[in-house]
Amino acid sequence: MSDASEITFSNYGIYDLSDNLELLLPNTLIKFQRISGNAFSYFRENSEGEIIEKIIPTESNDVKIELVPIQPLNHPAKRTNYVFLKLDKEIHLGENSAASIFVHCPIEIGIFLIYDDNHEPLDWVTCNPLNSRFSLYGSPDTGTLCKYAEVSLATDYDDSVSYVNGVMHIVIENTLSFAQTISKVIFPITDNNLYYNNSKSIIDGIKITMKKRAAVNIAEVKPTPVDTEWALASIWDKSIDSVHHMEMTLE
Amino acid sequence: MVLELLQSLSEMQLVGELTVLSLLIGGIIMAGGIITAKIAKLLFHKYYAPSLPKDTAQNISKLIYFGILIVSFLGFTSSQGIDLSGIMVAGGIFAVVIGFATQSVVSNLISGLFLIVEKPAKHGDTIDLPDMGISGTLLDIGTFSSKVRRFDGTVTRIPNDKFFTSNIRSLTLSTVRRADAVVGISYHSDIENAILVMKNEILQTMPFVLQIPEPEFRIDELGDSSVNIHVFVWYPKDDWSQAQPILLATLKRALDNASIEIPFPQRVIWSGKD
Repeated sequence: MSDASEITFSNYGIYDLSDNLELLLPNTLIKFQRISGNAFSYFRENSEGEIIEKIIPTESNDVKIELVPIQPLNHPAKRTNYVFLKLDKEIHLGENSAASIFVHCPIEIGIFLIYDDNHEPLDWVTCNPLNSRFSLYGSPDTGTLCKYAEVSLATDYDDSVSYVNGVMHIVIENTLSFAQTISKVIFPITDNNLYYNNSKSIIDGIKITMKKRAAVNIAEVKPTPVDTEWALASIWDKSIDSVHHMEMTLE
Repeated sequence: MVLELLQSLSEMQLVGELTVLSLLIGGIIMAGGIITAKIAKLLFHKYYAPSLPKDTAQNISKLIYFGILIVSFLGFTSSQGIDLSGIMVAGGIFAVVIGFATQSVVSNLISGLFLIVEKPAKHGDTIDLPDMGISGTLLDIGTFSSKVRRFDGTVTRIPNDKFFTSNIRSLTLSTVRRADAVVGISYHSDIENAILVMKNEILQTMPFVLQIPEPEFRIDELGDSSVNIHVFVWYPKDDWSQAQPILLATLKRALDNASIEIPFPQRVIWSGKD
């Protein structure tokens, strides 16, 4: 897979699977091939040289493949529903003030199989495995395991890096009577839907409210849906319980 | 024919008023109770246990099984016309005698109950019992003993009183765990550079190693032949196999790629004239 600038990668969306289908993503090649009247083979090679091969038996004549951005929770293995975004630049927020920022949130790419009334997750890939790691928020015994990514600020929803990240809107409100410096954001990403347009993606935002509860200063995190005309991406794991919102003590 | 047979059985007295027929009815009640208990246990395991935590499911299963057996036994005794109030008094005395005679059995039983209540470890946890030199996965906390499947696949039965009174180190209770390794570099190598290349190699090739807390490097010792660096990395609790066994190989690869020497044991000998 040579120079990425000369290659046209496959857009997100739904593809008909008649006989053969080849999807190309950065550092990743995906191939479907009809091997008999009612069976397909699936082949995927990623940037780490890992090869996945599957046989897909199906009696349906109308088989489709959906390629969509999904939440970045599967690589290297599904261990948590939380995401730890380390901002490359700290944000200073004065007392009783608010900030509205866009950040590049990492994504993974889901491959779904659609036939008859079925819509099944088949495989997932990440085009940026080196920025897909774990971190701990809190102490080793009671802390929260998170997916970790160092993220930069984005200018708007179109500013995402195709196949690698999506833009997320974060509103931070400081209702405390003293200034705060924000260097990281930790939240459950299970309630944040993803949307796509060609090869770009955006993610539902979050609102962080820093407030005082009794004698404790806390940060309350809630998801905020995006009002967009971009296509809503399928959810990879529908069995995940929603968290809706979380609270954490300010350090 | 059948009625005549039953009539004759009811007339055959064994002891006191105990007849063959009443004994037969009692046997049927007990057999029915055992069969019902087994079926109830089977149905519970099939339809309800999968949705419960394994240790809770096992405890409820035992409760159902023995509950039905006890009810059956009570049915059996009443069918025989046995007065239980006398048995209660005798049973109390009998229990004291049995208690003295079977202290270890009772101790195991009580310890088992305490283990179920306190839950120092639950089914499926990876535990280490340093006092006994046993490490493995906890399979079951039973009535009298517990079972641990060691990492070599063998299963060890541990009496509950020993299990309860020993130190239990849980390897899965914390969110994350730490792996470590010691590597030596030669005295003429740049320590900062060695740490940098090892850190980069870990972060690039060991995806299960946590970025926060980040890998830690301590100069452990100025040894006879090398500067010994102790490396610590954290990883998710279930991914030991993705950290500890490959950490040393990763460190060696990083040092080899950077042409940093890992010295053999060596000794410099100065002669008197020098």
